[in-house]
Amino acid sequence: MSAAQDDLALPRGFRDILPTEARELHAIERTLMEAFERHGYVPLEPPSVEFARAASAVDERRMMRFLDQGNLLALRPDITTALARVVAQRYREAKGALRLSYFTTVFRQDRSMRGSEREYDQAGVELIGPTGTLADAEILALLCDALGSCGLRSFSIEVGHMATVRALFAGLPPAALDVVLEALRRSDLVGAFRAAAGAGMGPERIERARRALAVRGRGIETVDDVPGVTDLRETIHLARELFAGGELWGVPDLGVIPSLPYYTGIVFEVVSPHVGAPIATGGRYDGLLARYGADRAATGFGIAVPLLHQALVADGWKVSFDAPLVSLEGGDDRTRSRVAAALRARGFGVALGRVAESAGRAVVSAQVIDAEHVRVEGRDLHLDAAAQLFSDAAVKR
Amino acid sequence: MTQDVSTPTHDVQALRIALAQGTMFEEIVGALRGVGLPTDGLTGHRRLVVRVTGVEYVLCRPSDVPTYVAHGAADLGIVGRDVLLEAEEDVLELVDLAFGVCRFVVAGPKGSLDRSLAEYQHLGSLEVATKYPRVAQRHFDERGIQVELVKLSGAVELAPQVGLSDWIVDLVSTGRTLRENDLAIVEEITTCSARLIANRASYARDRERIADLVDRFAKWVASR
Repeated sequence: MSAAQDDLALPRGFRDILPTEARELHAIERTLMEAFERHGYVPLEPPSVEFARAASAVDERRMMRFLDQGNLLALRPDITTALARVVAQRYREAKGALRLSYFTTVFRQDRSMRGSEREYDQAGVELIGPTGTLADAEILALLCDALGSCGLRSFSIEVGHMATVRALFAGLPPAALDVVLEALRRSDLVGAFRAAAGAGMGPERIERARRALAVRGRGIETVDDVPGVTDLRETIHLARELFAGGELWGVPDLGVIPSLPYYTGIVFEVVSPHVGAPIATGGRYDGLLARYGADRAATGFGIAVPLLHQALVADGWKVSFDAPLVSLEGGDDRTRSRVAAALRARGFGVALGRVAESAGRAVVSAQVIDAEHVRVEGRDLHLDAAAQLFSDAAVKR
Repeated sequence: MTQDVSTPTHDVQALRIALAQGTMFEEIVGALRGVGLPTDGLTGHRRLVVRVTGVEYVLCRPSDVPTYVAHGAADLGIVGRDVLLEAEEDVLELVDLAFGVCRFVVAGPKGSLDRSLAEYQHLGSLEVATKYPRVAQRHFDERGIQVELVKLSGAVELAPQVGLSDWIVDLVSTGRTLRENDLAIVEEITTCSARLIANRASYARDRERIADLVDRFAKWVASR
């Protein structure tokens, strides 16, 4: 590799986001944050760097760590843990519900993100304080509203419950239960059942657990006696009532076991037919804040923005523009600048000279004749008439 | 019936299953037949995508199976656990198919184990040749033993004989290759066999069919 090529290379897992995609990601950010606002969530931004030990929810091999004056630091791999710290520190005595939202970068090895596997945007909310099915339902309904607002059409929210998972393996010694849960979080069902059998769980109970963890949809009625199932059904029911969409988007799915270890109650994942990994993950994590000295209940979700973007694009989604970009040429510098200012004052986007990259936005070329007139598509027009033409072009599109 | 795969086949109904070609392939076909899946067209040609009723098979290198499944390019896959351990991809391991049994082991030259350990005391590190650097690294990390890994692409048992490494980490099934090269097992890391794996999103979306296949595979394993 020559020196010049060396200078052009990027570290593995990082990439440039070019204008068309960047604009789409900004549109997603605006839409999501507006949806979060509508439900009373306010933004909070933790720093990008924290002590490596504070980020313990994520496997250290997946973090980006570095030394700073003798301290081992990490680029934040997970927002939920960082927010838990902030809440414990600054809202310890807060009364009522705390509703927080974020749209920010996380740094962790995550191969499902393909080219940006070590740096990608995550959007999400945390509801701190309220317990019970109504709070869980609020989060589910908000997730559905947020994804729907972005224009995502084909998706389902798969809803499980960690209490159900634990109940299926009840009676195992705590150490063995940890091994089983660890295997389940790694998606290794074979290993989980083998560990359970090794710790003395009988074949009938193992078969029952195996069948229960495969339950999705209507089959949930066959496991009504297992702890957590009633909660789960109630939550989905409430969420559908809270959210006026009415479609069948919340699906009971006892196989949902997220990889992060802090979930304690309802858990859920959003799947799209176009994307290989869950677009969003969330659930109740009542123990996490206690670790920071503030024993408060909490629930929330995180959306992997690159995957949401991938699903939206596969759904045929595009960012729409109110008007084309005007590329203004001709005239002397001063006149051209004045015409540009006049058109901008009328609400149009204007670029001086030729446009090398419009990021998917239509471009109309206009030649400056004088301070009040431009030539567009072979016609000499007063700026008012030109403005009308640009607006019509936008409507036609 | 198999179809010409040169025409795009976007039948949303078909479950796509990635199969590991290679030493395990015959047993994989046997397992598919055992659970009543159509297997015509899977052998005797070089097509890489084989469509039969309701299923589309993708034939690929064993080490690529987890990648296809993790990214959702295939819904299901059949591949050895040895490959999964090295790949570290996020896929669901659903059924132990109990064939293709082999073991990951640490091995060294017969009669020189004591010397290796003395050397470890002295130099503080051992050289280990392997085709499976992630499996090897994880194992020695768990043991708290510092090693220097030498990544090879084949015939790892050669490395200690010519002084390239002290030990090897390799897959063994009968142990014959080790014996013939005067190597002895230092330690067994784990036992592996074939697994039915699934993409996480596919498993949610297509639960009924996949759960049904899981039942059939589990019954087939139990009946053998």
